[in-house]
Amino acid sequence: MEKTYRFKLNGKWVEVSAPPAATLLETLRERLHLTGAKEGCARGDCGACTVIMDGRPIHSCLTIMEQVEGRDVRTVEGLSRNEELDPLQRAFVELGAVQCGYCTPGILMVSKALLEMNPHPGREDVVEALRGTLCRCTGYVKIIEAVLKASEEGG
Amino acid sequence: MSATLHKLNVYSPDSLHEALRILGEKGERVKVLAGGTDLIVQLRAGVVEPREILNIYGLDELRYIEIEGGRLRIGALTTYMDIIQSGKVAKAAPILVEASKTVGSPQIQSKGTIGGNICNASPAADSLPPLYVLNANVVLQSLDGRREIPIERFYLGYKKMDMRPEELLVEVNMPVMEEDEDAVFLKHGLRLGDAISVVNAALLVKWSDDTVKDARIALGAVAPTVVRARDAEESLRGRRLDENVMWDAAEKTLRHISPITDVRGTAEYRREIAVNLVFMGLWELAYRRGRR
Repeated sequence: MEKTYRFKLNGKWVEVSAPPAATLLETLRERLHLTGAKEGCARGDCGACTVIMDGRPIHSCLTIMEQVEGRDVRTVEGLSRNEELDPLQRAFVELGAVQCGYCTPGILMVSKALLEMNPHPGREDVVEALRGTLCRCTGYVKIIEAVLKASEEGG
Repeated sequence: MSATLHKLNVYSPDSLHEALRILGEKGERVKVLAGGTDLIVQLRAGVVEPREILNIYGLDELRYIEIEGGRLRIGALTTYMDIIQSGKVAKAAPILVEASKTVGSPQIQSKGTIGGNICNASPAADSLPPLYVLNANVVLQSLDGRREIPIERFYLGYKKMDMRPEELLVEVNMPVMEEDEDAVFLKHGLRLGDAISVVNAALLVKWSDDTVKDARIALGAVAPTVVRARDAEESLRGRRLDENVMWDAAEKTLRHISPITDVRGTAEYRREIAVNLVFMGLWELAYRRGRR
């Protein structure tokens, strides 16, 4: 059985049909064709599926469509505007904070949520914010530096 | 991808009254979904038998933090992030803020709820030891009315609660901490972030000058439910916290715990950590007192 869900996605209202307990992640990827958010562990450990819902970072793999109805969801696809990268994305590119890229959408969204709640975080705040997004390619040094750089540039 | 989830029927009531009506009608045939940070994992893994889902995540009337009549009242759907960012909790029960910060990750903190943590009834839940030492009550509601019980009496055994199938946990409340009280939360996980507690502990001391007037100590992940270390508490009353007194109390913790060996640690390791956490907690409280 499927139902129609209506919610705000990257600033625009969308309607999508899905089973009531389908996850937001699979609905984004398979029905709405936004494949930025990734499935890593599917149990809330890795953070690769992180999106922002009502201003807060959440695991889209642990969120079912019935919890999404009427809410405001932002994914990595919504960060850039008119083909222009968000300052956070620019900082990631400039500092080489991306390797394989699998974790990057989740890391960007958890960092975006941090900068919206706390525009001038200290290094410790960034480290804390990133504790639930695992990157297995790099250390986190470049990633942390990129988030700090974006905060200096009003990202 | 999530074949189990796709088969589930979900009710999403618009009001608490409607939720209680569905619960009254369906009882144990529905499983209540709050934030879902643990339940969705359990459903997928087949740990929890798939039943119909009562999704209460949208019931904003259960999201509140209030101080009223000397008590801090927290609605069941209040998230860890709400608690972390609340000036009221920082003032009335700072230990709850401390504990909430150690839970999972920002993603878990943003979606996981205090009511969900209480009803999930994990012996390792990080909000529970603080709620025990704060003498919190849980409020259960059904169409027949409300009842309020001390959190310690709420848990009857491993994942067993004094909660009827038609009841919903709607609030947890506790006395606002007094000027002469101080409390500390300690968590030992296998890493700092995103970790389930191997052992956790909450300690609350009521001071009279440099002497302990009263103490409450609760430990998690060392027994089927959170436990109070009453002999340790008793040994502290009327004493100054010198090293001997603190070690003596810490050792007495062992009388109250019965840890098991699991993927996160052996029983022996947990006993060792429990003693050390209580000592460290007392040391921290004594240090803070001395600094004033």
